[in-house]
Amino acid sequence: MLVKLVTEYSFVLSFLLLVIIAAIVNHNFFSWANVSNIFIQSCTIGLIALGMSMVISAGQIDISVGSQVAFIGGFGVLVLNQTGSVLVMLLFCAITGILIGLLNGVLITKGRMPSIIATLATMAGLRSIINHFGSGGPFTVDRAFYDQFRQIAAGGVNLGAFTIPYFMIIFIVATIIFDVVMKRTRLGKHIYAVGSNEVSARLSGVNVDRVKTATFVITGLMCGIAALLYASRTTAVAASNAAVGFELDAIAAVAIGGTAMTGGRGKIFGTFLGVLMFSIIRNILTAADVSTFLTGAISAAIIIIAVLLQNFQNRRR
Amino acid sequence: MLVEMKDIVVDYGPVRAVNNVSIAIGPGEILGLLGENGAGKSTLMKVLAGVIPPTRGEVVLDGTPTTITNAKVASKSGIRFIHQELNLCTDLKVFENMFLGEELRRPTGLLDTKTMIARCREALGRVQADIDPEAIVADLQAAEKQLVECAKALLFDAELIIMDEPSTALTLGETENLLEVMRKLKAEGVSFIYISHKMPELFAICDRYYVLRDGALVAEGSFSDVDENSITELMIGRQLAHDAFDDHVDTSRPEILLRAENLSGPGFEDVSFELKAGQVLAVTGLQGSGRDQLADALFGAAPFDGTLTVKGRRVRSGTSIRAFMRRGVAMVPRMRKERGIHNDLSIMDNHNMAYLNARARTPWISRSGAAERYERQRKAMSIKAGNVANPITSLSGGNQQKVILGKWLEASADVLLLDNPTQGIDVGTKFEIYHLILGLAREEGDHRLQRGAARDRQGRRRLPRHVQGTRERGPGAQPDHREGLDVLLHRREPAGELTCRSSRLLRPPRPRRRCAGSRPAACSSSWSPSTASCCRSCSW
Repeated sequence: MLVKLVTEYSFVLSFLLLVIIAAIVNHNFFSWANVSNIFIQSCTIGLIALGMSMVISAGQIDISVGSQVAFIGGFGVLVLNQTGSVLVMLLFCAITGILIGLLNGVLITKGRMPSIIATLATMAGLRSIINHFGSGGPFTVDRAFYDQFRQIAAGGVNLGAFTIPYFMIIFIVATIIFDVVMKRTRLGKHIYAVGSNEVSARLSGVNVDRVKTATFVITGLMCGIAALLYASRTTAVAASNAAVGFELDAIAAVAIGGTAMTGGRGKIFGTFLGVLMFSIIRNILTAADVSTFLTGAISAAIIIIAVLLQNFQNRRR
Repeated sequence: MLVEMKDIVVDYGPVRAVNNVSIAIGPGEILGLLGENGAGKSTLMKVLAGVIPPTRGEVVLDGTPTTITNAKVASKSGIRFIHQELNLCTDLKVFENMFLGEELRRPTGLLDTKTMIARCREALGRVQADIDPEAIVADLQAAEKQLVECAKALLFDAELIIMDEPSTALTLGETENLLEVMRKLKAEGVSFIYISHKMPELFAICDRYYVLRDGALVAEGSFSDVDENSITELMIGRQLAHDAFDDHVDTSRPEILLRAENLSGPGFEDVSFELKAGQVLAVTGLQGSGRDQLADALFGAAPFDGTLTVKGRRVRSGTSIRAFMRRGVAMVPRMRKERGIHNDLSIMDNHNMAYLNARARTPWISRSGAAERYERQRKAMSIKAGNVANPITSLSGGNQQKVILGKWLEASADVLLLDNPTQGIDVGTKFEIYHLILGLAREEGDHRLQRGAARDRQGRRRLPRHVQGTRERGPGAQPDHREGLDVLLHRREPAGELTCRSSRLLRPPRPRRRCAGSRPAACSSSWSPSTASCCRSCSW
């Protein structure tokens, strides 16, 4: 059991370690306000990272997620302003996300493009299109719906002493759904199988192209939902710099969560903790007064360290 | 140079690939290294070439113990390993390949192309190859590539050249040419270690032999003292070669499960056969004979022309593998490591994969169902495994293969394609698997298509004469295939009784052109497997 904890669930250990450090640095760390704040900060990246876990487990990568969020978010705000209905906006975001994921998937499977190239292209393309329509500036939610729309990010379920933020609920529920899908359904097993050995998977009757496409479609869907949440939190989607670097954060979270960057192995729970670790690190840095401009460097360092540790563990096996 | 390998042991994880083997080779000597696939030949040679370090033992060159840590050290010591799958960069030119990693440079640091080409031409001259140093390697024939590798070895003053099955992709004429080159180099003092399954070549060129079986050295001696029969027996192991397979396969059931009519595809042509319930049909042929592609086509993993009928219903080329599975076809693929298992997945998940695709009705996974299925197969095949949640790589090769076999049995297939199913498996398990196959064929409703490669045939008496003539290697290829088979099969008389008594012959390919001989009509009717042609004047 202990061996398993060290080898397979090492991300739990790093999580606990980080929590201890955070508690020392920040005396209010365990306060409900702080905890829910961490979840609110984690939710958007978290949803994307869940999708990214699938993509990476299938041996692929999607670096277009940041641009997807900006693209879908920008147009989503326009849809909201036109219709005044959050439901229509959600529908729009979800469908657009699915379509973008489908585009990525088709380019990669039918077009036989390496996933990093295909998503690099969509990353640049989507960002450029949203920049064009927004002239680089923000898409702002109309005053008329502002307060109502803002409630998604700011509100929560009131339980007397606590208020559980919607973001927290969404993130946890999504994690559970992903965990079940990856562990207990055919699709999940197929994703791992494809990431582990594509040839074997094909010869076992797995429709490899369809599985790969599915991971990108699901990631697109998650980007769509994340875009809505992002818009609600910021109430304005700036075309040129919204969600910049999300791909880096999502990949880093997946990496510290113990998912193999080569595919085939990984746990959704790891990604969940990975995302939280990310927010906690930021939390610590804020408390320690480190410049926010350095977060990119921190993400980079985390990816490198996490993957190096993985390699080290694999070599020992 | 005198090369000695002393008490070499190589462990791959829990598997001992080479066990305490000592060999020696002197200057100007050609050594034949024999053994079945998986006997440890390649591993032993990889040690000598510095590809892998030995677990124990040492390599002694001219009396000096030497640690060969990588290919470059080996090359400096005068040892060159020509791999079976040639290590040439096909997009580069011949001379660039030959100097790869050891490019000559001018004092300015730029490449000295002129000298490289000149030296390359000289080396190619020594192996009597008429190849332009500036040709792109992709444009060369297989035989020419082989010669380029030889020339490359000479370029760096190799004194010992290891050749791993160099003639697999060559025609008889090309092989003869290669042997001629080897004789010439031998006279110059270069020694060779020659790995091959083809007896005529070994007897023609080699001085001494070493036979490996299951990682251990079982015999050594001079080729002049033995004949092909006794060598083959040494390779396979006498007691096992005579292990009787007296199972009788009931072939009275008339139901035809799989019918192939004039199947053609990349690498095979015009294959027709019927497979009845309870039959075990063997399809054999050496590498490159089209057997691999045929197996893939029968499982929908490769395109084909012609008519393929499964249980009375026609399946078309391009039908998904899953659809084949649902119609009751299963395939245990060749090259387990690359094509059969999922390294990262647990034993249980590997085992459950086929069921999940072919039979599961819902997308949800039932853990208890999966455990039940695994338990059934574990008992039936006595799989030795610890925790089923461990990765499949924690098992030995034989047990891995049993898990894969079980995976397909649980897909409840009626036709089971076994593509070289005993590759890389220890002898004991190998025979266990043969018995399993026979047992399955006898069972109600089980019908198997056994497709073994050359090495799977020990213990079986009459194999169908097989070999789908393929034309990809040109006319010379066919005698080659037969030769390999003759050696491995027909020249021995094992005591065992065997399985394939009901198998059908695959029809030989039809001549493409009309016969140039005097009696064209004879061509389509009297194809002779022994001469691989229809009449004497016909050379297709």
